[in-house]
Amino acid sequence: MLRVNRTMENGIVCLAPEGRLDTMTAPEFDREIKEVVPQARELTLDFEKLEYISSAGLRALLYAQKAMGKQGQMKVIHVNEYVMEILDVTGFSNILTIE
Amino acid sequence: MTIELKGRIDSNNASTLEKEIFARLDEEKPSEVVMDAEDLEYVSSAGLRIILRIKKRYDNLRIVNVNTDVYDILNMTGFTEIMTVEKAYRKVSIEGCEVIGRGANGTIYRIDQDNVVKAYNNADALEDIQHEREVAKLALILGIPTAISYDVVRVGESYGSVFELLNARSFSKILASEPDKMEWCVEEYVNLLKKIHGTVVPEGKLPDMKETALKWADFTKDYLPEESGKKLVALIEAIPHDDHMIHGDYHTRNVELQDDEVLLIDMDTLAVGHPIFELGSMYNSYVGFSEMDHTVIRHFQGFDWETGMRFWKKVLAAYLGTTNERKIQEVENKARIIGYTRAIRRSIRRAGLETEAGRAEIDHWKSELISLLDTYDTLLFTPYELELEAVQENLEEVQDFVDEHLATANCSAKDRMQIGVAVEEIFINISSYAYNPDRGNAIVRVTVSEEPVVVTITFLDNGVAYDPLAKKDPDVTMSAEERQIGGLGIFMTKKLMDDVSYEYKDGQNILTLKKNL
Repeated sequence: MLRVNRTMENGIVCLAPEGRLDTMTAPEFDREIKEVVPQARELTLDFEKLEYISSAGLRALLYAQKAMGKQGQMKVIHVNEYVMEILDVTGFSNILTIE
Repeated sequence: MTIELKGRIDSNNASTLEKEIFARLDEEKPSEVVMDAEDLEYVSSAGLRIILRIKKRYDNLRIVNVNTDVYDILNMTGFTEIMTVEKAYRKVSIEGCEVIGRGANGTIYRIDQDNVVKAYNNADALEDIQHEREVAKLALILGIPTAISYDVVRVGESYGSVFELLNARSFSKILASEPDKMEWCVEEYVNLLKKIHGTVVPEGKLPDMKETALKWADFTKDYLPEESGKKLVALIEAIPHDDHMIHGDYHTRNVELQDDEVLLIDMDTLAVGHPIFELGSMYNSYVGFSEMDHTVIRHFQGFDWETGMRFWKKVLAAYLGTTNERKIQEVENKARIIGYTRAIRRSIRRAGLETEAGRAEIDHWKSELISLLDTYDTLLFTPYELELEAVQENLEEVQDFVDEHLATANCSAKDRMQIGVAVEEIFINISSYAYNPDRGNAIVRVTVSEEPVVVTITFLDNGVAYDPLAKKDPDVTMSAEERQIGGLGIFMTKKLMDDVSYEYKDGQNILTLKKNL
């Protein structure tokens, strides 16, 4: 239900979750984030193929934002209309850098 | 060969009797011996020894029509354990008695103020009676309100079983005489139906309705064009095994109001299977059998065609939990496929092809069935309610169930995602907290109303009383550093849905989501 594609180059990490980020799949995404954060100067989350996000996914995003806020930068790109609405409603669009 | 035993058998007459009996056996050399004890008053140990010697030669010896005194002797001496001993049955007359129900195997008469007898059509009905008693007991143990017979009696040349039924009135009678009770009848009738269909039956205890329906299809297919016949069999074969109970003959004469209790009677057709089989037989009861001749239903149910039609439509809508005409029509059409398959077989087996009216009726059912078979590729439908264990692992099943309903409602992808999120948040909340650290079930109901199109999703659980809406909303204007992880699920649900409400009633947490499409 969720695949996470990872690319890494010189401390610039890109994670591209594909599918649904929900209660069942969020732990996997969490693990990915915790793995890459210590080595990341810059973290890009590419949401082009993310179809669905619930509060479990948002928790993973908040964790990443807090961690990256201390040591570098994080941005979220290619957010689709439906996921964007969730980020707007929850105020996440104000605390994340969305391109 | 039947040997009649009369009067008293003791040491005075035993040896004479023995000689007589063995002389007859040697002469006739029967393959089977039955002793009829209708007029037997007493048997001593000398008499019992004769029985033993006959039993030695005829292992299948049976003693029937045994009165209570003789039965006690046979029971105490252990004879009831080594051979078949059948008690004499009390005789009950049904002459002039009111008919209160007509089932597949028999007719139910009221014999006095408190008792009814179900008289079986089949003269050799003892096995059927035994079966019905057993399934009624099973149903009662599984929580279905029903009457269990307390006595087996002779009714004319056949047998009957006697039930206590005090001040009871069938729903047919109520509908026929009190039209203003229609809504009440629909509600109670559907509640009981859902209870039956929600009951899981231990494996092997009841026949599988799918096998029965396949027999109908196997018969009826020969009267259809080859392609239609093949499709009919394939559609029934594709229905998955279902271990939930179905009644098999669920019409308003088999549902009784006794004092304030709604009782199910006529249990001999009890089976397990997919609810479409039940709906098929219900369709026939109210509509199918009366489609050509609208007066037929009066004979079956005691009310008229219009009442039956109205009742059926309301029942189906309430059972499916929807006012969506398209959905109701779809399920009705699938039920008709099962209904017509059975009706055609039933009519042909009852020489329906030999009268003009019969042929016209069979032709009508056939042409309807053929066109329905052209239209549908499955007999399955999405039920209105899903009950399952409240654990995270079941989230996908809940999401799929809700999605199936949304698919029939032309729901946009955006609305579907928002409803999906709300459903996840609520279901995960119940899974995590309602029964912790124990386990328990949750029920999810989905209804889609028309004009305006509103999706209503209800979650019920029997866990600790907890109102998730009472919690203060998180402050979504805080910066990332200040924000806490968590507390967002319910807030999102409130924002994404048009209405969210909670109540605690009868030990249940009831949370309802509404979304206008």
